[in-house]
Amino acid sequence: MNTANILLMKRAIIKLIKQPSAPLMGFGMSLFFLIVYNAGIGGIGNLEAFAGKGYLSFLFPIAVISLAMGSSSGAGQTLNADMQSGYFKRLYFSPASRWSLVIAPMVADTLSSLVFTAILIAIGALFGVTFQFGFLSVLGILLISLLWSFTLCGFSAGIMIRTGQYQSASIVTNAVFPLLFLSTTFLPRELLTSKWLLTVSWGNPVTYVLEGCRYLLVGTSEANYFFIALIIFTFTSFISVVFALSSSKKIKI
Amino acid sequence: MFPYFSKKNMGTEISIHNLTKSYPNGAKALKGIDLEIKKGKFFTLLGPNGAGKSTLIKIVTTLSQKDSGEFLIGGINPESESAKIQNYIGIASQDNELDPSGKVEDLLVFQGRLFGLSKAEAFSRAQELISLFHLSNEKDKKTSALSGGNKRKLHCALALVHHPKVLFLDEPTVGMDPLARANFWEVITQLNKTQNATVLLTTQYLDEADKYANEMALIIEGQLHYSGTIAGFKEFVNLSASMSLDDSYLHYIKSISKQNTTNDEKR
Repeated sequence: MNTANILLMKRAIIKLIKQPSAPLMGFGMSLFFLIVYNAGIGGIGNLEAFAGKGYLSFLFPIAVISLAMGSSSGAGQTLNADMQSGYFKRLYFSPASRWSLVIAPMVADTLSSLVFTAILIAIGALFGVTFQFGFLSVLGILLISLLWSFTLCGFSAGIMIRTGQYQSASIVTNAVFPLLFLSTTFLPRELLTSKWLLTVSWGNPVTYVLEGCRYLLVGTSEANYFFIALIIFTFTSFISVVFALSSSKKIKI
Repeated sequence: MFPYFSKKNMGTEISIHNLTKSYPNGAKALKGIDLEIKKGKFFTLLGPNGAGKSTLIKIVTTLSQKDSGEFLIGGINPESESAKIQNYIGIASQDNELDPSGKVEDLLVFQGRLFGLSKAEAFSRAQELISLFHLSNEKDKKTSALSGGNKRKLHCALALVHHPKVLFLDEPTVGMDPLARANFWEVITQLNKTQNATVLLTTQYLDEADKYANEMALIIEGQLHYSGTIAGFKEFVNLSASMSLDDSYLHYIKSISKQNTTNDEKR
């Protein structure tokens, strides 16, 4: 990687630190989920299906997912701001590679998502979230968060470039949002009342993230889900990078 | 690959042969432009609004795609050697390309670093350009807080950070006050004379073109009408050499417009 590409990454990170609205929104959203749902229905954590681990740890993966979702539009927004100001054209005509113009804000967004996930984990631990395998569980959750976040950022950036519209950066979040509710988000599968929801949930990649994280946090799920989640989101990360890079060829100056 | 250019001599800095471009609606923006600009020349591209000047610059700087034709800059094919060409040329286009949240000095340093200067070199170059463009009082300001003229100065300064051999200036002094314009041209003419940099300027300020440029080309509706010296253009339009470029240009444009009207009426 040449100096120009590294400089672009650094710039994207500094910009995000100076204007952290997207990751802060994601962080706020995930804390909101965690606090409100735990306060509202946390009592069900005493049911047998939760294996005595309580509801907060069960619910924690959804906070991790929603954090990345909330901040994933940042890459698209950064690109859009540069395009609107015309500065993108200047960067475009520099020795920095075209791909790095797109990848840099994605990397910055993903890193910020990771940092906030780490803060969320610390807060969770403070309030009693359990980590079945200790530090390994933390690393596993960060890894899943990284892949999930990178996937969303890539699609967000790609769509923004293709449409050229500021609003489109949040299309991915809106598109993924329903998936959160078509899964074992709030209850373990044993307690899902509808068979169709149970069936749909197994076709929903979000389920594997949730169950994979639950394996790491409370051990109520199986290790397989964690590995399936890794495979799925390594693949989607790859596809999202390909999508974002192919979009960079469509940039109109 | 470049059959036309293989016959040409090496003193040519910019060679354009039979360049064509159509707009998405089918209208022709460039109709087979041929141009040769020698190294170290201060060349101005003139023509009314919509003539195709900016399109031509966008194509040769790879910011837009041609339909057909060939072009080389300093012997480099910009379309296939983008890394080389980016270091070779500097572009100040019509619109200011500034990061509104960036500060003047920071942007200049960052630009230098992007073009491979070390931190110290980039900082030193930034100070040089800040001084040249009289931006010392503005160096810690965000670009969003700059006046229109200062934004324009910074925009042009950014194009010069990496000491380009060829400079493309597309309406560079629009929005600058007379003093800023004078300072700007002082910098550009110095660059042209002392470093033998080739300048390709498009402007609507014909007094500036007359004063600073050695050679010119006139494009009207995507067609090249004249290419040569400015004195030669005055002869071309049958006006005395003492007439200003402004008068010669207007005289020619009006005659072309009249000719077109007559042709339309005949049809």
